[in-house]
Amino acid sequence: MQFVVNGQPRVADVEEDMPLLWVLRDELGVTGVKFGCGVAQCGACTVHVGGVPVRSCQMRAGDVNGDITTIEGLGTPEHLHHVQEAWIEHQVAQCGYCQSGQIMQAAALLTRTSNPSDAEIDAVMSANLCRCGTYPRIRAAVRSAAQKLRGA
Amino acid sequence: MRFFVLFALIATPVLSAGDNVEITLLPQGSVLTEQGLEAWDRIYEVASHPRCSNCHTGESDRPMWSGPSYGQARPHGMNIQAGDSRDGASFIRCVSCHALTGQGGNDAPHMAPQVAGTWQLAPVEADWFGRSSLEICTQLRDPALNGDRDITALATHLDHDVILHWAWTPGGGREPAPYSLQEHVDDLILWGAAGMPCAGDVSNN
Repeated sequence: MQFVVNGQPRVADVEEDMPLLWVLRDELGVTGVKFGCGVAQCGACTVHVGGVPVRSCQMRAGDVNGDITTIEGLGTPEHLHHVQEAWIEHQVAQCGYCQSGQIMQAAALLTRTSNPSDAEIDAVMSANLCRCGTYPRIRAAVRSAAQKLRGA
Repeated sequence: MRFFVLFALIATPVLSAGDNVEITLLPQGSVLTEQGLEAWDRIYEVASHPRCSNCHTGESDRPMWSGPSYGQARPHGMNIQAGDSRDGASFIRCVSCHALTGQGGNDAPHMAPQVAGTWQLAPVEADWFGRSSLEICTQLRDPALNGDRDITALATHLDHDVILHWAWTPGGGREPAPYSLQEHVDDLILWGAAGMPCAGDVSNN
C-alpha cells in the first residue's frame, strides 16, 4: 500500500484495516505520533491527512485519502513551525507524551483561523487530553503562535 | 380493521425496491387513524431512542451522550461543538474521530462510532432530544421542518442515510434502536397512509 508521509512516498505491506497509527509507528518507523488510548478519546495520535486533523488510531490504512503529515513533517529543527516555536517559548511540555498530538491539532486550528478566541481554542483543543494538566500553557502557546502567524 | 389494511396491501401496493429496504407505499386514506397512531407510537420509540435522539439536538450544537450505557444524560465529552455546519467544521470535525470508513465501523466498546458517511448532527429543525411524542410528531409531518419531504421522501431518506442505519447496528455494546430499519420504514408508511396523525388531532374516521 502506498502513502505519502511528510512529503515522501512510502510503501507498507499492510492489511487495509490496520489503523494508520500502526502503519506509521510499526511499519514506517514514524514514531513522533503516539498511541494513547486507541479509541479516539485522547488525541495523542493526531496527524493530518489531506491537511485535516484525524485520530490515526481510528483511520484504517485503506481509508487514507490524502497526504499524511506528522509532527516530524510540520517543521524542522532549523525551521520550526510557529506552533512548535510557541510551545518551546511557553515551555508547554511536562512529560511531553501528548504534545505531538496537541501541536498537530493546534497547527490545524491556526490553518483555519488566524486569530482564535479562547473559546475557539478550548473547543478545538479539548479533545486532546494532557494528564500533566498543561492546558493553560497550551492555550497561551496557541495564542502566541497565532500572533506569530499573523506577523504581529 | 386489520383486514382492511391487509386488503389494501394486496390490492394496491406501490412497490419500490429500495437499496436497503422494501418501500411499499399504501394509498392515502387506506389506513385508519387509530392504526396510524399505533404506528406513530412505534416510530416515536425509535425517534426518542438514544441512538437517534443523541444527534437530534435542535438548536444546540452539542451532541448528547445518553442511554443505558451512559448513566445520566450529558453533552458529548471533550467540549465537542458541531457548530453551524453541524459537522464540526468550525472547530473539530466529527470525522476526526468518527472516521469515514468503507470497511465497516468500530465494534469495540467506547470507540467512536464510524459509518461510510460523514458523521454529523441532524439539522436544527429535527429537534428530537427530550421532546415529547406530540412535539416530534408535529415536526415530522411539517414539510417546513422535515426537509420538505412527503412520506415517500421520508422513507427514501431512511433507505439511504447510512448514519440512520447505524442506529440498528451500533456495535460496541451499545443498545440498538428498537424494531428494525424495515419495520421502521413500514410504520412510517402506515402513518403516512393514515394521514400522518398525531395524538390530539380531531379524528376523521
